[in-house]
Parts: sequence; C-alpha cells; structure tokens
Amino acid sequence: MSCNVPQTKTSVLHRMDPRFRLVGLFVLIFAYSFVSDFRLLGAMLIFTLMLFFISGLPARFIVQKLKLPSLIILVLVLILPFVSGQNTLLDLGFISLKQEGLHASGVIAARFLCIITTVMIVLHTAPLLTHVQAMRAMGLPWIMADMALLTGRYLEVLGCDLGRMQTAMRLRGLNASRPGLYMLRTRAWLCGSLLVRGLERADWVYRAMRLRGYGQNRTATLQFRATALDMAVLSAALLAAGTVMGLEIWFGL
Amino acid sequence: MHIPDGILPLPLTLGGYAACAAAVFFCLHRIKKRPEPAADIPKAALLTSAFFVASLIHIPVPPASVHLMLSGLLGVLLGFFAIPAILIGLFFQAVMFGHGGLTTLGINGVIIGFPAMAAHYIFRFGTRGKHGPKPTATFAFLAGALAIMLSVLLFALLLVTAVPADMGAAVEKTAMLVIIAAHVPLALVEGVITAMTATFLLRVSPRVLHGV
Repeated sequence: MSCNVPQTKTSVLHRMDPRFRLVGLFVLIFAYSFVSDFRLLGAMLIFTLMLFFISGLPARFIVQKLKLPSLIILVLVLILPFVSGQNTLLDLGFISLKQEGLHASGVIAARFLCIITTVMIVLHTAPLLTHVQAMRAMGLPWIMADMALLTGRYLEVLGCDLGRMQTAMRLRGLNASRPGLYMLRTRAWLCGSLLVRGLERADWVYRAMRLRGYGQNRTATLQFRATALDMAVLSAALLAAGTVMGLEIWFGL
Repeated sequence: MHIPDGILPLPLTLGGYAACAAAVFFCLHRIKKRPEPAADIPKAALLTSAFFVASLIHIPVPPASVHLMLSGLLGVLLGFFAIPAILIGLFFQAVMFGHGGLTTLGINGVIIGFPAMAAHYIFRFGTRGKHGPKPTATFAFLAGALAIMLSVLLFALLLVTAVPADMGAAVEKTAMLVIIAAHVPLALVEGVITAMTATFLLRVSPRVLHGV
C-alpha cells in the first residue's frame, strides 16, 4: 500500500504543473462519461492509447492496475446483452442476445476502460500527495487537504502495523479460515486495536506538528508554477473534451 | 459497494458531486465551530487511515470471503469528520486500486457517507445517558447493520435505474431484490463486528468511542 509512483523516464505529463494536469484529467473523464456513440468511443480508446504512449509509463504497471476490474462492470457487461432490449440478434432458445443490451454493454466497457486508464496514467505521473497539494492550491478546504495528506502519509505505517499484528496472531495459532463468532470477535479486536493504535499515534503526531508550527499560519504556500507547456496541454485536453461532447450532441440530433 | 466509472450518466455524476459538496460544506462548518479544529485533524486522519487499512481485513463468509466496509463504525467514531474521511478514502481507493472511480466519487460519497452520518446519529442518540456494554453493543450493531443496508438500498436504486439500458420493470425489480438480498449477510456481519469493536473499545480505550 503506497502512494508512490513507478520510476520511469520523464514525459510531458510528468513535467506538467499538477494543477493543470488535474483540471485536464477531470475535464477529459467527465467528457468521456458523456459519450455513448461507438465512433466516438473508438476515438476515445485511440486517444487513451496515445496518452499511454506519451506518459512513458511501463505497460506492466497499467496492466497490473487494470487486473482488478470492478466486479460490477464485469457482471453488467456479461449480463446486459441478454436481459436488456427488444431487438434479438441471436436466439439460442432459452436465451437471446439483444442489440440494445449489447450496445449498452459496449458503451459501459469502453467508457470504463478509457476513464480508468486515463486516471491511472495521469495520476501516476507524480506522487499522489503532490496532487493533494495541487488541489489545496486550487481551493480544497484546508481541513480536507490536511486530512488527505496525513491519511496518505499514515496508510503505509498502519498497513505495516496490521501486517505485523496478523503475523503475530498466526504465530499464536489463529486459524484465519475458521468461521463463526470466534473468528468475528478476533477480527473485531484486531480492528479495535488498529483504531486504538491510530488514535494514540495521532496524539504524538499532533504534538510534533504543533512544535513545527502547525496551525499558526494557514495561508497555502503556492509552490506550483505554470508554463506555456501547461497551457498548451490543458488547451489540447479542453479541445478534445469539447470536440467529443459537441460531436456526441450532434450525432444524437 | 462502489459504483465504478462509465456506468452513470453525466448529470447524475455531477449531481453526486453537488450533493457531496453541500454535505462537506455543512460538516466543515460544524467542525470549524469547535474551539480548536486543528487539534482534531490528526485524530480524524489517522482514524481514516486505520479504517482504510481495517477495510482490507477479510472475513470468511462461506463459500467466499468479504471485505469489511466499516462505514457504520466510521460514522460512530468520526461524526462530522465522517463524510470528508469517506471522500478521502474513496479518492485513495480509486487512484491506488481502481475501486470506484473519480467521476463517481461524489455519488459514492453519497452512497457511503450519508448512511455513515445516519449511523452516527443512531449511536449517539441511542446511547445518550446510557452506559455499559449492552446499550453500546445494541446501538453499535444497529448503526453498523443499518449503515450497510441504507448504502445497499441507495446503491441498488442508482445502479438499476441509471444503467444506460432498458431492462424492463420486472427485470429491474428482480435485480434490485437480488442485490439487496445478497448484501444482507454482509450487513449482519458488519453489525456484529461493529458491536464487538465498540464493546472492545469501551473496555480498552473508551475515549476512542467518544469519537473525534
């Protein structure tokens, strides 16, 4: 469990101001979620593939991330062609393949693939916490930004704590697969111990933060600087999103 | 119980963001009214991390195993920090594991966050003036189980009605019933785990149970 990014060569996306990268990302993914025309879905897939090549991220990394496809997507894509619609494409007797269901299934799969790949590409060109700082610079409330930064920082620490506690439980003879109230109680106590540890650590963290001046000066330090390249890439993303949405509306008329 | 990217139409995803923004505004407004809001942030953040990590614990429910959601317990302990914490957790899950999505972050925040706040009120009002393990366990169970059932209800309603395909009323009704019925064991397990965790905290460290 880590918020780090894979080591790769630096691409245009890596060099971009994170604020511009985030705005571009959100504009693109919301435009993608608006599309249902197959011609545009094809163009979206090609654009996503181009983005992947530009990012320079290793293919193995993206494939690893896509290995965990949502179960809901899988179920919908497999079931919709058989339960949704009126026009039958193929009648197998007890079950029939429907045109509308097949279309909806293709739309969902293509949108999902494009959005999740774009998110993985764009947000893994810099550490996740850099993007949280960029959101803070763009107006995210300080309470949310500070919470997100601390949560991200301590995920790995508490993840290691959990791993150690589970190892200790196994060494003491816990049968992890044994169902029943005993197992539920063990899990509940494990969860409770993790919460107690988290809160105890929070006291020390807060004292350390106060000693370093936390809470004295609330003004966000702007550490990002936009360049002409950022403007150009963001303009390209806005243009792509606008074109896709405009064509979707035009094709739908 | 996260709705992934690509399923919901654009107006609904934007509506989800608007609803979540209003809820976050209300919660932050209440948090800022406290005498020292900055002091509670590390507590809320570390409990958010702990919840995120604890949700990775597997519970064997034969023939498979399930992950805990712990949204009820999170609501009980974090109070007005619950919705911001859930949004942060959902953001990390979407980016790190690809669970849920960024376009559906708002709608997933509504699905999980609003029931978590309901769980907070159930537990706080239920245990007001009552001490001891019995009322704590009873209301923690109700908070944990009802939070999951409310989330399932919202999830099923949104998923079945917003899928871009015409399934017909009968199929939609069946799909909703199947989704709800499939989650009843999870709700019961979450209720039991929430009750057991709450009584554990009452014995070991009652200040955790008082919340942030």
